[in-house]
Amino acid sequence: MTFSPLTRKKLRRFKSIKRGYYAFIIFSVLILASMFAEVLVNSRALVVRYQSRYYFPVYSAMIPGTGFGLDYPYETNYRELSLRLQAEGGSDWVLMPLIPFNPLENDLRKDEYPPFPPSFKDSHFLGTDTSARDMAARLVYGFRIAIFFSLTLLIVNYLVGVTVGCAMGYWGGKFDLIFQRIIEIWTNIPFLYVIIIISSIVVPNFFLLILIMVFFGWTSLTWTLRTVTYKERAREYVLAAKALGASDFRIIFKHIIPNTVSVIVTYAPFSVSGGIVALTSLDYLGFGLAPPTPSWGELLQQGWDNMDAWWIVGSVIFAMILTLMLVTFIGEAVREAFDPKLHSTYE
Amino acid sequence: MIAYFIRRALLIVPTFLGITILVFAITRVVPGGPIERMMLQAQQMQGREGGKSTGAAGDSQRQPLSADQIQVLKAYYGFDKPVLVSYGQWLAKVLSGDLGTSTRYYEPVWLMIRSRIPISLYFGLFSMVMVYGVCIPLGISKAVRHKSVYDNITSVVVFTGYAIPGWVVGVLLLVLLASHWEIFPLGGLVSDDFEEFTVIHKIGDLLWHTALPLTAYMLGSFSVLTLLMKNALMDNLSADYVRTAIAKGLSFKQAVFRHALRNSLIPVATTFGDNISIILSGSFLIEKVFNINGMGLLGYESVIDRDYPVVMGILVISSLLFMIGNILSDLCVALVDPRVQFSHGR
Repeated sequence: MTFSPLTRKKLRRFKSIKRGYYAFIIFSVLILASMFAEVLVNSRALVVRYQSRYYFPVYSAMIPGTGFGLDYPYETNYRELSLRLQAEGGSDWVLMPLIPFNPLENDLRKDEYPPFPPSFKDSHFLGTDTSARDMAARLVYGFRIAIFFSLTLLIVNYLVGVTVGCAMGYWGGKFDLIFQRIIEIWTNIPFLYVIIIISSIVVPNFFLLILIMVFFGWTSLTWTLRTVTYKERAREYVLAAKALGASDFRIIFKHIIPNTVSVIVTYAPFSVSGGIVALTSLDYLGFGLAPPTPSWGELLQQGWDNMDAWWIVGSVIFAMILTLMLVTFIGEAVREAFDPKLHSTYE
Repeated sequence: MIAYFIRRALLIVPTFLGITILVFAITRVVPGGPIERMMLQAQQMQGREGGKSTGAAGDSQRQPLSADQIQVLKAYYGFDKPVLVSYGQWLAKVLSGDLGTSTRYYEPVWLMIRSRIPISLYFGLFSMVMVYGVCIPLGISKAVRHKSVYDNITSVVVFTGYAIPGWVVGVLLLVLLASHWEIFPLGGLVSDDFEEFTVIHKIGDLLWHTALPLTAYMLGSFSVLTLLMKNALMDNLSADYVRTAIAKGLSFKQAVFRHALRNSLIPVATTFGDNISIILSGSFLIEKVFNINGMGLLGYESVIDRDYPVVMGILVISSLLFMIGNILSDLCVALVDPRVQFSHGR
């Protein structure tokens, strides 16, 4: 992939803004790590050595307890297996992931009621939630869902928004006027209310929720793109393309949109954080993704209900602040790199 | 100019019709309206009288209301007519000043809304004054000391405020300051023995109870405004007329306060009109976190309860406020900036 010199200059400028650049690196590492969350946070063992054979339960089919000489036919409890093999003291061993719980399992105990506070002894580094599920596991998987939700939302939203916005700016006239009114109506509808109404009837899954949110959220970029296209359309290169016989479709997608990319890129990080916040708000109210999907909003709701369990609210809000700050720093640096304003200062 | 604002005002009408008709249609299409709720209630009552309920399986056989009764109910709520007809009836009633009656509390919608207005107004006005009081000085000082240590540190704070939604901060404040350290009360607007307090004590008590939600409200908007103020002032500081002012011998301070500042307040003024809808409708997430009975929470609860007359009533008020606020913003710009001409284009 080759970039134009102008783009390369922008990328260089982005790199030179340290706060944003490091935020970008950290954020990318976090997303990458979350894709392999199964290796880091899982109730299945990474490696089991049993009777001089090696097993890799994380990415293999379910191994019943009988496979390791246990007396039950359902899935092996690797934490117990680990303790047992240690106690037997043979050459067999189990290597568990860093956080040996999956986000859906309840680690209940006798004579005690969850939530349990953080403890290194039980490997619940951030404690458990009110159903005795591991906080850290739910945070990690919740992060993965929130990020990919927000990225998918961004892509679909921008596809619709950019297309409509460009068409409005390019054709103008009646088309523009009608869509202006539609957008004005659309942005005025309290869309959170509508989502609440809809999702109290059908419990939305990942893609349905994205569809609903795009239906009400595509207007976010349309207005800006309309103005930008309006300006671009008046430039000579569009006229030249037209004189050469290019179709409207070709002019919009081949010529105008590449020139508006810097605008789109500038808005993207803020849309990512907006998506995360929207999903968290919906989950907090109980109208987002169906339980028991790990979600930050649901954890916030639990924390709000159980204020004595400070570790719930504390760790969710810390995770949220960290994520949203990283995204905001990236966004600020992108904005500065793509749309620099040089200010004169006085001594 | 006047023609422009008249045209803008007239455009409110189609937009208002569009918004209300859309939401009205949604409330119609979606199941779970007042009639379904009544049938459910009647069923539960029947189940209790019958001693034991047979569960969901017996739903259709033990329909508690007869077809005639349902017809009467439908006619009562206007569900027996096509959407457009009953929308027309609703609109006619709204235009004559009647927002209808709540289908859940059987109270006039307008009275329900009116009783919530003072609460939302208190939070809205208070946080607005605080936000402008903090943002304008902070923006100025950041612009003047651009790229200094002070600017960088406050930028981090401002970005944090920008990144975290106000209601999440609200949850954090509630857990830390109200539940853990017990500095502030968990909820409510005033203490139980509020009536017996002196005036000063009353004000103090109210502030003590509302300090946390006010902070959450403020955080929601102070970042945007601070950055707006800073950027506007920086743009003006690098303009030629400020250079001229400094070149002719004005001190930097004089150049900022006498010349640049006045022009930089213009973009800040454009945001002023937006406040009108925030002041009155509030944020239902913050109100839910702190259990404040304002307009936002009323709207949220009415959506949950399927109390559609209230939903529509709040929609009428909030959308009108929003559109009037937009026009007010433009008017503010025209007032503070004599160069602005709305006559052509836009």
